[in-house]
Amino acid sequence: MTRTAAFPSRAFPWLLAALFFGLAAIGLVVPLIVGLLWSLVNPRAGWFPPHLVPPSLSLANWRAMFSVPEMGDAAIASFTIAPIVTVLCAALALPTGYALGRRPVPFRRAIEFLVLAPIIMPGIVIATGLGSVFIRIGLEHTLPGVILVQTVVVLPFMIRIVTATFEAVPQDLIDAARNLGAGPLSVAGRVLIPLIVPGLFAGGVFTFIGSMEEFVLTFIVGSPDIRTLPVLLFAYLGGRSQIFTYAAVVTMVLLAPTILFLFLAERALKQEYLAAGLGKM
Amino acid sequence: MAQASAASAAPLSLDHARRAARHRREQWVTALLLTPGVGFLALFLIIPLAQVFLRSVGLAAVGQASRFTWGYYRQFWTEAQYRDGFFFSLWLGAASTAISLAIALVFSALMQIRFPGRLAMSVLYKIPLVVPSLVAAFLILSLIGPGGILARLVFHWGWSWPQLVYDRWGWGVILVLVWHNVPFMMVIISAVMASIPHDIVDAARNLGASPWAVFRDVTVPLSLSGISAATLLVFIQVFGAFAVPSLLESAYPLALPVIMQTEMMDRANWALASALGSVLTLASAAVLVLYYRLVQGRGEIVR
Repeated sequence: MTRTAAFPSRAFPWLLAALFFGLAAIGLVVPLIVGLLWSLVNPRAGWFPPHLVPPSLSLANWRAMFSVPEMGDAAIASFTIAPIVTVLCAALALPTGYALGRRPVPFRRAIEFLVLAPIIMPGIVIATGLGSVFIRIGLEHTLPGVILVQTVVVLPFMIRIVTATFEAVPQDLIDAARNLGAGPLSVAGRVLIPLIVPGLFAGGVFTFIGSMEEFVLTFIVGSPDIRTLPVLLFAYLGGRSQIFTYAAVVTMVLLAPTILFLFLAERALKQEYLAAGLGKM
Repeated sequence: MAQASAASAAPLSLDHARRAARHRREQWVTALLLTPGVGFLALFLIIPLAQVFLRSVGLAAVGQASRFTWGYYRQFWTEAQYRDGFFFSLWLGAASTAISLAIALVFSALMQIRFPGRLAMSVLYKIPLVVPSLVAAFLILSLIGPGGILARLVFHWGWSWPQLVYDRWGWGVILVLVWHNVPFMMVIISAVMASIPHDIVDAARNLGASPWAVFRDVTVPLSLSGISAATLLVFIQVFGAFAVPSLLESAYPLALPVIMQTEMMDRANWALASALGSVLTLASAAVLVLYYRLVQGRGEIVR
């Protein structure tokens, strides 16, 4: 009797599926299609109300990616900065993650709080401080400056994920390797590193996406000289004249790698990594 | 390895000294390993934050005289535009957190039920997580904006579309933030809900509880650890959000982070921006302290 009450009818799971997929269609698929259409609008014809679909399509806005210098420059800046930030974060997080994950650490609570701070602190406040300090040391509006500020906000995710991964390595495996005569270097190279590669990959995905999407610090420390794709998108959406067509192209360029990464990394982005990166306080 | 050597060591004084030396060396290694990550954050987080606080009281200025003053804080409290900005940010944070939480709770609970296509859905719903908030703003704007696709659709049927963006209460801002934060909350909350043993839910059902009663009295209380963490994170993020309010809010009031950006970049008034930033930080810290108080009280119930 309770069973039937839990699932009022056999159709319930199907109703649930309809609800979820319906919402996904309205909230996700329709906006993405509309965004894609905006990027394909023929600039000569435009797409004005009350047309529900653009009167004519063209690739002119996509060609602007190469012909309008600001768009090309922003794409190059984004795709240059993100890998550098990712590698820098991995290099900084590996030793620290190892220490936090596998060794007794003094002042552990304080260190964990420091690592958590950039995640919870409002980005605009960090931007105010870094902007003000960078003006003093001459790093404002420079590429190294932007790389450094982005690292501040994405490094914590990398450290937390790498730490959780190191914690999860069974001590037995390390002991066994050592008992079988492996030195510290070969334990690291043949046991520890292979075991943490998935976590490092997940952290790398997080960092890369985080860097691609970082806006407020890049905007305040980098502009007007260093403009990444989100900064350009902000310029196209804000201000007096919105340029929806270019905004749509930038949106698609920003979305493609991140959604691709999400699907590629779905296996790596297991709940526990997400939880390590975001949840557990 | 430290434990292993400690266990095998005999209680001799020579051994003791060697052990102490070894312990010291281990500590140095730990410190060395911690330096890259922790050192970087200390350098590029603590120093800038110290700069913000010093700057907000008139000290540590670049290229102008430094003089201690509470004037910038007084300006924040006495001038209506700054005070209204603070309360507007507070409103955005509270409203979008409450709405996101209600939706995320129901959806997370429903995601625990088996339905066709659940696996695909569990990937699909995470897409907004990786969508930058600016892109979210663009997508929602092209959907519900004044010339958006929905406005055009209802126009075809002869109705008029309500103004959802650029409005006094920031409903457009809230909508984008909810769109962005519901999946974020769902990731955290459904991970906790998935770890609730089925037996407990089944027992409640067998004792005659309705699905709604199970949700209210069993599922939600047992997920409190995830719920509280998600609520806190979302509130603080929205409270300090700049990009979405900046694009979708009306001319007045402006969210506090937007005012800060204007002060910094348009008026080069870093001191006032720093004071506003300190207010934002202190308010967030107050919420954080409140959270730890509440969680400590509940800790035993939630394990």
